[in-house]
Amino acid sequence: MKDKRWFLPGILGLAFIVVLVWGFVQYDTKNDYKKMLNNEYQRLFYDMKDNVENVQVNLSKVLLAESKDLNILLLSQIWQHALTAQEKLSQMPVSHKDLSKTEKFLNQAADYCYSLIQAYLDGKPITSKQRHALFALQDNASYLSKELSDLHNKIMKGNLNFNLVRRREDRELDRANENIMNARLTKFEEKITNNYPELIYDGPFSDQVLNVKPRGLGGNIVDVNEAKEIAKKFVGIKKVRKITKFEEGKKSNAANIEAYTFSISPENMSKERAIYISVSKKGGKIIWMMNPRPVDRKKLSINDALEYAKRFLEKKGYKGMEPNYLLKFDGVVLFNFAYKDDNVTIYADNIKVKVALDNGEIVGFDAAAYLKSHYDRDLPKPKLTEEEARDRVKLDFDIENVRLALIPKNGIKEILCYEFKGKYKGSNFIVYINAETGKEEKILKVIKDENGILMI
Amino acid sequence: MKKLVLLVSVFTLIFFSIYTSYINTNTTAAYKDYSINRVLYWGSRGDDVKQVQYRLLKWGYYTGRVDGIYGAGTYRAVRRFQRKNGLKIDGVVGPETAAALGLNFKSAASRGVTRDDNVYLLARAVHGEARGEPYIGKVAVAAVILNRVEHPSFPNTIASVIYQPGAFTAVSDGQINLTPDKDSIRAARDAINGWDPSYGSLYYWNPATATSRWIWSRKVIVKIGKHWFGK
Repeated sequence: MKDKRWFLPGILGLAFIVVLVWGFVQYDTKNDYKKMLNNEYQRLFYDMKDNVENVQVNLSKVLLAESKDLNILLLSQIWQHALTAQEKLSQMPVSHKDLSKTEKFLNQAADYCYSLIQAYLDGKPITSKQRHALFALQDNASYLSKELSDLHNKIMKGNLNFNLVRRREDRELDRANENIMNARLTKFEEKITNNYPELIYDGPFSDQVLNVKPRGLGGNIVDVNEAKEIAKKFVGIKKVRKITKFEEGKKSNAANIEAYTFSISPENMSKERAIYISVSKKGGKIIWMMNPRPVDRKKLSINDALEYAKRFLEKKGYKGMEPNYLLKFDGVVLFNFAYKDDNVTIYADNIKVKVALDNGEIVGFDAAAYLKSHYDRDLPKPKLTEEEARDRVKLDFDIENVRLALIPKNGIKEILCYEFKGKYKGSNFIVYINAETGKEEKILKVIKDENGILMI
Repeated sequence: MKKLVLLVSVFTLIFFSIYTSYINTNTTAAYKDYSINRVLYWGSRGDDVKQVQYRLLKWGYYTGRVDGIYGAGTYRAVRRFQRKNGLKIDGVVGPETAAALGLNFKSAASRGVTRDDNVYLLARAVHGEARGEPYIGKVAVAAVILNRVEHPSFPNTIASVIYQPGAFTAVSDGQINLTPDKDSIRAARDAINGWDPSYGSLYYWNPATATSRWIWSRKVIVKIGKHWFGK
């Protein structure tokens, strides 16, 4: 009798204790994670602050240094510290829109210094214009550095807790914007907007390279209906059941190639999927096409597929294209073709063609690179003979194949090189020797596996 | 007195069941889904040897310690295992023996430098961000990530772009950890091979769910599926 009366409250009390313990453990774990995250952010912040200080100090030293050797050392330190600072900054819990210019500043500072190192190595010391640019960079870097040390003082006083700037969603980020951290960095963003020279140099992050206009499109502007016909003709009119255009935005001219984008429903809807295709507004060229249909039974060999790809390019009016490497996956083979002008392979003008291994159909086409860079080039004549270039290659590099190639350098520049393919210590490499100056420009490592060839 | 005994026993029961389930998940996780990428033989050392020893121990072929050292004991156990399973009896763990042990054997040729890890990471991001979008929309999302890598205002590697705090909702809410489907992997691969249906865009947003007003100040280029793409 007595036992029964206590049974229910006993169970409830027990449940309560269990929940209490569970809750405490959860709370404790949450606090641990919070501390861990906070520590991580603190470390990022301190490291970044040091990196920015180093950038600033080294920039001022470069302005003073006279000798080539010291300048190259200092510039490479700026390059390294600016990249590291950028990398750390991008992992801080601050919204991207408050950081994008600071990130750009650091990336371009690094890139700029790297281009100066290359120029130095080619025997071109810093010009007075570049000196001005460095001075502006230093000015901005010291401002950023000062903002960061102010922030540091706040942290020391305990006014800033990184947990306040936790990420999650935009709404939370907006609230966090009132936070000191963001306010400081935003101030720098404002300064840099008003007071930042456009850096003119050759490098992957320079504005000139980013804003390069396509050269291989041709003249006439085509309207939507003409573009539709071009697209239909490209995939074969018989296949098209319906063609619809994707909606364009107000600033569609911001596209790297202005174009109409279409979705094509094939006649055989039960078996096939929609095909996507893009036609340039200028010139009415096919930029890319993709047909994501699955390929089940592989019947063709790589060589058969290559024949299909070659015939296809010829039919579409792309002459003088030469296959360079291939990748095999999902029942398709992707061939990369490069344009060959007289005996010179021009890598920038490349077209990719995907062939399905079941029936040889072309299921992918990408001429964006070709359309961006192709034009009638005035190719320089090589000043070095093949033998002279060969002498510049390491003696025990086992050369299998030599040819002339035009390779891209730092974004927009192109240089004529002798390309030496061969083996060194059991691995495949490609060595490029500048055909005009004899400089060893680049080495690529070729990695072959069962799925294709990769060059890095 | 009875009540106390009951209480204590119930409590200990709960405690131990929680404790053991906790321990179990921990140990099995450590030995789950493991792959080896080299041929193992007498004298090999390492975690992959531990995997082999652990399995042989579990199935009663091995009696020694799981220490990651391929010695005489392990050698004999492997031979016993091979005899029992009709494999070539050589005391070496190659592809066939590994498969029989339930271990995934990856040949050395496919190791080293590949872009597969990046393709898979990109595919996960695409799957988390653009599930249910048309194929071209998936390629475009992957292309935006790659365009960011090339742009100075963003981090310079695929992983840093994807994991930049607050950059992608699929990362914040953990959907990036879902297993990507075939279409996402294909879309990621197309984007890495150069296809860019976003025409160089750096941002995309869904007008139905976008909360930031700032995003509308971007230059809008094209609408694919539910997403607007812009710079």
